[in-house]
Amino acid sequence: MSDVREAAVEKRSIAFECDLPEAPEKVWRALTTPEIVSEWLLPTDLQPEIGQKFGFRDPAAKDAPIECEVLDVEPSRSIRFSWRDAEARRDWLDSTVTFEIAPTETGGTHLTIVHEVHYAAAIPQRAATTAVNDNGAMSMRLAA
Amino acid sequence: MESEILRALADPTRRAVFERLAAGELSVGALKQGFDVSQPAISQHLAQLRKAGLVSERREGRNTYYAANPAGLDPLLGWLERYRTFWPDKIERLKTVLKGMDQ
Repeated sequence: MSDVREAAVEKRSIAFECDLPEAPEKVWRALTTPEIVSEWLLPTDLQPEIGQKFGFRDPAAKDAPIECEVLDVEPSRSIRFSWRDAEARRDWLDSTVTFEIAPTETGGTHLTIVHEVHYAAAIPQRAATTAVNDNGAMSMRLAA
Repeated sequence: MESEILRALADPTRRAVFERLAAGELSVGALKQGFDVSQPAISQHLAQLRKAGLVSERREGRNTYYAANPAGLDPLLGWLERYRTFWPDKIERLKTVLKGMDQ
């Protein structure tokens, strides 16, 4: 764990980065293939396509899936998605998670994960989206 | 403080007042338009929002203007704290999964 560095801590965002020995194509697959993401992150039906709604089901949080939507994808470079857990929904918070990868000189991959939070309503351009998503009847298509 | 903020925003009218003020400073009179409540009721809501640190007021002559104070929401953003340990744990698991993957 010692080589995972906390790159930035602000009130509204946290970022982590590390170097991985695997090539970027392989890391990209691990970050965007639902079966693989389910293994290291949380069980998910993620599909790396813009506008795709999906979820993560935290086994510890019982029946409160984390509701997500893919906001940006740059294949083999980055993926950004919204992330709202049960508490965020209750407190009108909205957050986004970004996975970004870049090749290293040694043929490996530099991975950055940024998690940002903002208050859903105070940011006008987000407010509309949030209102629409509030009832989020998210369907989880999880393989058992 | 966090519970005071949540209490202040729990009322739909109060929340709408806060959101309106987030778009720009307004007097009570201007703010009242669009709300189906009396001016004293609006003033009451403003007082509660001010108490929670979500709204500030500015006097200019005989007029008082109100504005949202987005920094007042900062205590809510402490929500992110839990993810400071969450992500490093997940990255460690990712490393393990990567080692077991085919090329």
